[in-house]
Amino acid sequence: MDGLNKVLVTIGRGVGGVVGTLYQAGRDTIDTIIRNILPFMAFIAFIIGLVLATGIGDVIANGIKGLAGNIVGLLIVSVVCAIPVLSPLLGPGAVIAQVVGTLLGVEIGRGNIPPQMALPALFAINPQVGCDFIPVGLALGEAEPETVEVGVPAVLFSRLITGPLAVVIAYVASFGMYS
Amino acid sequence: MNLFASADTVAEPEGVWGAIAGGAEYFIGIFNQGGEVFFGLMGGILPTLVVLLTAVNALIRLIGPEKIETLGKKAAQPGLIWYPVRYMVLPFLAVFFLTNPMAYTMGRFLPERFKPAFYDSAVSYVHPITGLFPHANPGELFVYLGIAAGITQLGLGLGDLALRFLLVGLVVIFIRGIVTEWITARMIARKEAKA
Repeated sequence: MDGLNKVLVTIGRGVGGVVGTLYQAGRDTIDTIIRNILPFMAFIAFIIGLVLATGIGDVIANGIKGLAGNIVGLLIVSVVCAIPVLSPLLGPGAVIAQVVGTLLGVEIGRGNIPPQMALPALFAINPQVGCDFIPVGLALGEAEPETVEVGVPAVLFSRLITGPLAVVIAYVASFGMYS
Repeated sequence: MNLFASADTVAEPEGVWGAIAGGAEYFIGIFNQGGEVFFGLMGGILPTLVVLLTAVNALIRLIGPEKIETLGKKAAQPGLIWYPVRYMVLPFLAVFFLTNPMAYTMGRFLPERFKPAFYDSAVSYVHPITGLFPHANPGELFVYLGIAAGITQLGLGLGDLALRFLLVGLVVIFIRGIVTEWITARMIARKEAKA
């Protein structure tokens, strides 16, 4: 009888643990959806609606077709986004990258930008990622103040090299995609 | 609307009033379009996202994210073979298990001279990973999803783009880590020479 009890308790505890974990995971997910994902979806939906319903879309299309439709234009975009003074300003919350990504997506959907440019474009609009967050990120890694002093310019200057380089790598890697 | 236009003979508003009414319709039209897009996103992406996020969150909880700390300690070693570990494997696992922004806390296991490079490497991966694993950075999904929406609209599959984004991202963060580590070393040396 004692042995059986022990087995039952062990099984009960195990199942309870797993179910509890799954439930907590679901709770976290809904929390994230409401707090992080839905607000941005609302914002993005408004922008797409504005682009599709008004003439703004055509203006944007003419503007970014020359930049986002070919590798040279994308390289220019990536260099501009990686300029050490600009990159920390463009970084926060990746809002700029998300809005530009959405606009590019609309133009890809309308056939103004070829779909194989999607991969290099993903890197071209994003060399500034995290440039606004370097001191905080380093502090999370328990870096000394001297490291932060050196680390901020090091990352910013590194992006000037690796930003455009990422676009080239992505461009080469996009061969054979959607064609 | 056109179906009823022929049966009903209500005159269209004219003149100044007509212009204002037309303007109002145009105004509402913008938000109707936006609402349609929002509904499309809610119906298209969100249900999958809810289930995927729940599954991965549960998996991470069951495995226990603290397991990768051992790897963090190993990655601190000098030597060429630890470069891919420090700037590819560790950032990937850190971003996957700890997500943005807690992933950067893995830097605490590394010596000071590697910390900026590790941060650079990890932060550059918070978007490439979202194509397949959106749980890692749920607040910034639209860098990928925005562009992906256009691909979907063309009727093409997303698997190809998501996978290539993930893999090219790994190559890019590796290069980024090496370049930033090199620049950091140069700057530390210059600072010490000055002092």
